[in-house]
Amino acid sequence: MPYRASGADARTVSMVALLLSFASCVAYAEAVLLPSLPIPGVRLGFANIAVVVAILVSGSRSALVVSVGRVLIVALATGALGGPSFLLSIAGALAAWATMSMLASRGAVFSPIGWSVAGSAVHVVTQLVVASWIVGSTAPLLMLPLSLGASLPAGLAVGYSAGLLVSRIPETTLVFGH
Amino acid sequence: MTRGDRTIVVAILVAVLVSIPVAIAWAGTGSSVATIVGPSGETRVDLADNACYEVEGREGIVMFEVRDGCLLCVSSTCDDQVCVNQGRVSIGRPVVCAPNGVVAFAAPTRRGQEALDAVSR
Repeated sequence: MPYRASGADARTVSMVALLLSFASCVAYAEAVLLPSLPIPGVRLGFANIAVVVAILVSGSRSALVVSVGRVLIVALATGALGGPSFLLSIAGALAAWATMSMLASRGAVFSPIGWSVAGSAVHVVTQLVVASWIVGSTAPLLMLPLSLGASLPAGLAVGYSAGLLVSRIPETTLVFGH
Repeated sequence: MTRGDRTIVVAILVAVLVSIPVAIAWAGTGSSVATIVGPSGETRVDLADNACYEVEGREGIVMFEVRDGCLLCVSSTCDDQVCVNQGRVSIGRPVVCAPNGVVAFAAPTRRGQEALDAVSR
């Protein structure tokens, strides 16, 4: 069988796989076990800890794999693949990833807390816009104040948790070629 | 938190504060009538009359009920049940069932768009 080497080394692949499995388990548990919040587009979003950690330790491309992979795996597990819920999830995940990656590329101007808060807000706004498109009405946008307000503590919690998690990982584990 | 982080937090707080009056103004002030929008059209619901409304969504039936002047989503075939947990429809606070493509909100419809897609019983 022909073998084609990729640019990713084994440690990067292992770390991304670890974060993807963590994100998938947490997102699935959140989707199945925790009651949904009565605000469209707002979940606790603890799976995003893995995405923030991925940006921190192995760069934006790895974070994209974790973010999109998590949405696909959870959609497969819950039977939502291809449906409107999947569309909402993938749109929110991509928008949040793009925002967090952009802020991360600005160096020390923003910390993981700032990435997470901005990503959380953009995630919510994107989902409400997509929901408006799905239902063919601008009414879901009326939820913006409530959803945006609720995204703030969630983003702070995720960003703080991700920073705390990375601070506990030995530095020798975090030597990656970005 | 860096200065940049604090700027983001403040920007979001400002966005929330600005969007509250905008959303309220957008939603209107009339609360005696609600509107349910589904894949096949929209219908106005008189909140003075207790009744149940069955709306055909993309994935199944969404049931709404007018009870004591309030419109609630009482059941839906969607997986996450966000719509059922949202409680009553109020001004600036619609009930959305995205999987079924159904939304209910306390705002008047435009004239000439009152094709019924709900069955009252």
